[in-house]
Amino acid sequence: AMAPGKKITARIKRTLPVKGPQAPTLSELMRWYCLNTNTHGCRRIVVSRGRLRRFIWILLTLSAVGLILWQCAELLMNYYSASVSVTVQFQKLPFPAVTICNINPYKYSSMKDYLSELDKETKKALETFYGFSEGKSKVRRSVDEGNSTGTDFFKQIPLLKFEDFSKTATDLRSGQKRKIEGSVFHKDSSIVNSGDSNDIIGFQLCDANNSSECALYTFSSGVNAIQEWYKLHYMNIMAQIPLETKEELSYSADDLLLTCFFDGLSCDKRHFTRFHHPLHGNCYTFNSGENGTILSTSTGGSEYGLQVVLYIDEADYNPFLVTSTGAKIIVHDQNEYPFIEDIGTEIETAAATSIGMHFTRSRKLSKPYSDCTETGADIPVENLYNKSYSLQICLHSCFQKAMVDSCGCAQYAQPLPAGAEYCNYKKNPNWMYCYYRLHEKFVKEQLGCQQICKDACSFKEWALTTSIAQWPSTVSEDWMLRVLSWDKGQKINKKLNKTDLANLMVFYKDLNERFISENPANTLVILLSNFGGQLGLWMSCSVVCVIEIIEVFFIDSLFIVMRRQWQKAKKWWNDRKRDQSGKPPEASDLERQGHDNPICIDEDLPTFNTALRLPLPQDNPLPRTPPPNYSTLRLETAFTEQLPDTLEVEQH
Amino acid sequence: MNLKKYFVRALHRLQKGPGYTYKELLVWYCDNTNTHGPKRIIKEGPKKKLIWFFLTLLFASLVFWQWGILINTYLSYNVTSSLSIGFKTMKFPAVTVCNANPFKYSEVKHLLKELDRLIEAALERILQPTPGNSSENISPPLDLDLWHQIPLVLIDEHDKDNPVILDIFESNQSTAGNETAVGNQTIASNETTVGNQTAVGNQTAPPPAPANVTSEEKKYKLAVKLCNHQGSDNCTYRNFTSAAQAVTEWYILQSTSILSKVPLQERIRMGYQAEDMILACLYGAEPCNYKNFTQIYHPDHGNCYIFNWGMDEEALNSSNPGAEFGLKLILDISQQDYIPYLSSAAGARLMLHQQKSFPFLKDQGIYAMAGTETSIGVLVDELERMGYPYSDCTMNGSDVPVKNLYSQYNTSYSIQACLRSCFQNHMIEICGCGHYMFPLPEGVNYCNNEDNPGWAYCYSSLRSSIRHRQICIDSCKETCNDTQYKMTISMADWPSEASEDWIFHILSYERDMSTNVTLDRNGIIKLNIYFQEYNYRTISESAATTIVWLLSSLGGQFGFWMGGSVLCLIEFGEIIIDSLWITIINVTGWCKGLKQKRAQARYPDAPPTVSELVEAHTNLGFQHEDAGALPRDEALPPEPGTPPPNYDSLRVQPLDILGPDSDAE
Repeated sequence: AMAPGKKITARIKRTLPVKGPQAPTLSELMRWYCLNTNTHGCRRIVVSRGRLRRFIWILLTLSAVGLILWQCAELLMNYYSASVSVTVQFQKLPFPAVTICNINPYKYSSMKDYLSELDKETKKALETFYGFSEGKSKVRRSVDEGNSTGTDFFKQIPLLKFEDFSKTATDLRSGQKRKIEGSVFHKDSSIVNSGDSNDIIGFQLCDANNSSECALYTFSSGVNAIQEWYKLHYMNIMAQIPLETKEELSYSADDLLLTCFFDGLSCDKRHFTRFHHPLHGNCYTFNSGENGTILSTSTGGSEYGLQVVLYIDEADYNPFLVTSTGAKIIVHDQNEYPFIEDIGTEIETAAATSIGMHFTRSRKLSKPYSDCTETGADIPVENLYNKSYSLQICLHSCFQKAMVDSCGCAQYAQPLPAGAEYCNYKKNPNWMYCYYRLHEKFVKEQLGCQQICKDACSFKEWALTTSIAQWPSTVSEDWMLRVLSWDKGQKINKKLNKTDLANLMVFYKDLNERFISENPANTLVILLSNFGGQLGLWMSCSVVCVIEIIEVFFIDSLFIVMRRQWQKAKKWWNDRKRDQSGKPPEASDLERQGHDNPICIDEDLPTFNTALRLPLPQDNPLPRTPPPNYSTLRLETAFTEQLPDTLEVEQH
Repeated sequence: MNLKKYFVRALHRLQKGPGYTYKELLVWYCDNTNTHGPKRIIKEGPKKKLIWFFLTLLFASLVFWQWGILINTYLSYNVTSSLSIGFKTMKFPAVTVCNANPFKYSEVKHLLKELDRLIEAALERILQPTPGNSSENISPPLDLDLWHQIPLVLIDEHDKDNPVILDIFESNQSTAGNETAVGNQTIASNETTVGNQTAVGNQTAPPPAPANVTSEEKKYKLAVKLCNHQGSDNCTYRNFTSAAQAVTEWYILQSTSILSKVPLQERIRMGYQAEDMILACLYGAEPCNYKNFTQIYHPDHGNCYIFNWGMDEEALNSSNPGAEFGLKLILDISQQDYIPYLSSAAGARLMLHQQKSFPFLKDQGIYAMAGTETSIGVLVDELERMGYPYSDCTMNGSDVPVKNLYSQYNTSYSIQACLRSCFQNHMIEICGCGHYMFPLPEGVNYCNNEDNPGWAYCYSSLRSSIRHRQICIDSCKETCNDTQYKMTISMADWPSEASEDWIFHILSYERDMSTNVTLDRNGIIKLNIYFQEYNYRTISESAATTIVWLLSSLGGQFGFWMGGSVLCLIEFGEIIIDSLWITIINVTGWCKGLKQKRAQARYPDAPPTVSELVEAHTNLGFQHEDAGALPRDEALPPEPGTPPPNYDSLRVQPLDILGPDSDAE
């Protein structure tokens, strides 16, 4: 009465007895393997007669194995490669967002309160140094000569004129000479040929805490120097004005947009979203998708795109900040931040600018195929712009963060990180020096931003073809300006000038969307197929062969070795016993009666069942089928019988 | 009986070796097949047998699964693209040049005179609204019939909810009913339908007073009134936020109606002539002149001239990059002869396109500004795609269900041609006449106000109908070979102030044979069109998965998991046929047995067969057998008492049988 569990294990043991490999020795096993394996080379080794032939076959088999390994390694290494496919789809296309800015950020007339001091200083500097006085040329606005306040700007950042790179410089404001100390480095010294120009203008930025630490920025032309100098002060002033006020000071949608026409229908300022850009003031984005709908075009051609007439109030431009007239536009995706100062297109006044677009969408494969990022979430730089990730955003955010960390305040042209505020020299007297130092580091890739930031995996691109026509034409100028003045005129009572107007057409040249995408060149299925092809080509091998190899070379060999050791140990033990007792050995005879081969023995002690199984009843008078055997062993004997001489020769 | 014998013999012939039962057959198969797994099933002990059985099953199912994936991949018809960039001798693109203005104003003045006077008077009223002065001094009476066909109206929006519609040339104003919603302007529903036109009040509108408007909202808007037919109540007001836009739109509608009645020959005569427009031409080092240009009448731009169209003669090749080897043109657009209200932008319109294709200037064209030199570097961007089933494109447009109206120009199919043809077909179907901007099919006329009073209304609603556009988008297919000319455009002032005099002098002399200067800065344009250093970028597609790829992948998979090949599949098929044979034999045997049983049932004993009789004599232990299960031949073992063939014997047997067989052969 056995327990049911034991019964089952006994049953399993009976039906699936644990037995070792049938081959008695390792060489037997190898021989058996070579003859029975499914791979092609091995059999040849065993079967071949003659040493040379056998040697050649060994060589061939080994080289086949080597080739397989090499080729499979190649396949594995090329696994992460991508193929590119280009599809063209003709379809209704979403119209991109079009952001339009006036080049001049703020109305000069309304900025007077903030900038009058600075402008006065600038003009004075121009007069003292270049002998330029504004009264002689265009009288823009009355310059009141109040000499009371105001060398503040020059105290902060003195404009200097250098003579032959000597260590002396003339202060532009006061005219006195002063000695330059500290490290001097030049903003564009690599471009300037230092010898011939003796008028080098620049300004000096000093570390407020340590006045001997000074940096000198020089420009080959006074135009650049004064603009740069003006810009620094301008940013200082603007940084102190709150955003709401700045929006007030800049252009309203009504100011900028005179007419609007999209897809054959009229549109107005409600289709535009205001977007405040630190350097360009109020910009207006058409089709920003802010209210959830994105307009699309189902017809290409200039009539069906966006047509706007912009009012560029040239008279109200800041003379020092911007020196060109017109508008700046950028075509971008709704989720993208418009980097208008970096990649905007300029629009001329008194002209019709026609911009034909061609839409291309690209997608790269992310890791492990290439080093790009899908959403930017894996980049350790906080996205300061609330728009989707792009490389540009990352770099700017990274710089801003470094700026806040090392200078204690934020740079004006980029958004504010949480808890920081824009630099101005009332609070951070040191910021300009700090900024210039940091910016130089950034440009020289010492801040590590370029290493951290990766490009985005998918991007949309609108290729633009820009062409310009005269507008309005000489014959239509008259009525056009009259009617546009009427359009505008309900607010201002003046006739427009054609140099105050710019006509802009943005349209799809065709509705073909080009989609360039990377696809994995290999899939697992194809990789396995290629493996199979290689294995099959060189050795007619398959996974089965691999399993065989593992089985034979690892499991069975180990087993045989173990068995050998066990037998040795047993023999030694028996010998010792026999030596002790003096009984003749019987074990080997018993073993020889094992089921399949003479040396094979069960590791288990014989149970009743196994004992029953072992000797077959011999009472059958008919010749029993020969005992199961390795067919190989039989074949081998056939060989030895047929060719005893050769075999012996070989063995010698 | 005969049949069975035949089957048995056939079976023998088919299978040399396997036994007569399923098991024998299977064992034989496993031992002899070339696939790797099965051999191992029968080779070793029961445990390994089990392992190998499951392994083989697993591998077989893996193979089938992967085959499924591979076949699916093949049937998805993927393509791979290859890109090539470089310079090669290429056909110079066809260059179409037009004037932005379609007709010389001096030539069409007699047709448009009334219209111009109307719009001038209307503008006068709108811009200088002095109510007392309304009956001003217009000496000849205005053609108000023309006006009333498509009138412009002024919408007074002082009261947002109750806009007043003011007809410009009428004394009484009409109020739109309360149900009108002029205010809700999204682009999709920009047109306001005024339903209740009958409720016309005699209310006098307050005079437009621009000065005293305090709010920033615009109070007056121009709109084009479009009616189903004249005097009908079914009217639409097409609003414009800008008066300039409204005037242009109105003028285009009216002039279209007038010009559509003019025969084509007359229209060509009214346009710019090649010899007036093309002043100088140089292709590479070879001089060319206006005679090298093919004239084509383009509805938007009047007479256009195409260089190197390739219609009559071979297209020219260009084998060198750079401006010196390209096309140089000097054009005159004579800006003072523009139609003032029709086109406000002045310049030449030009386009680069393929030979034998129609230039769609509104879509692909660019402007060149007067008084400048425009240089255009060209890169040919080609996309060569595979047709069906790899992508849904058309080779020559023959499989597109839209009648191509541009085929009358002998031009090739393009998506633009298809879309325009589609629109024109819809227009003819719905409005009963063709639009002036597109070619006409046989037997249809262009729309005009006299014959089709409601055409503008019909056209306007059709144009903004999203549904019709979508139908056209869906029915047109893009071409498989897409060629684009990527242009790098740069501009400079031309002629320079120093050279201005002599250039104008010579060009005027050459054109007009006069010593007076007939040209000026506002009309003259220089164009350079040339290939860039890299003049082509070709993306060509090739099939990613071919049948060869499929076969080698299938083979690879089968080989990888099981070391099999096609022959293994044939082997397997063979076994299936064999087992079918066995089944048939068994079934026939069973049927025979059944028959015998029935016969037995009739007679208590079956008639003894010859062998039975012999057996009865020789074997004492003979017992009458139940002849049910097996046919006689198999049922009788050759040697009584031999144990049924077991596993070991089966393995030996084929070798024994095969030996002599192979020897005999």
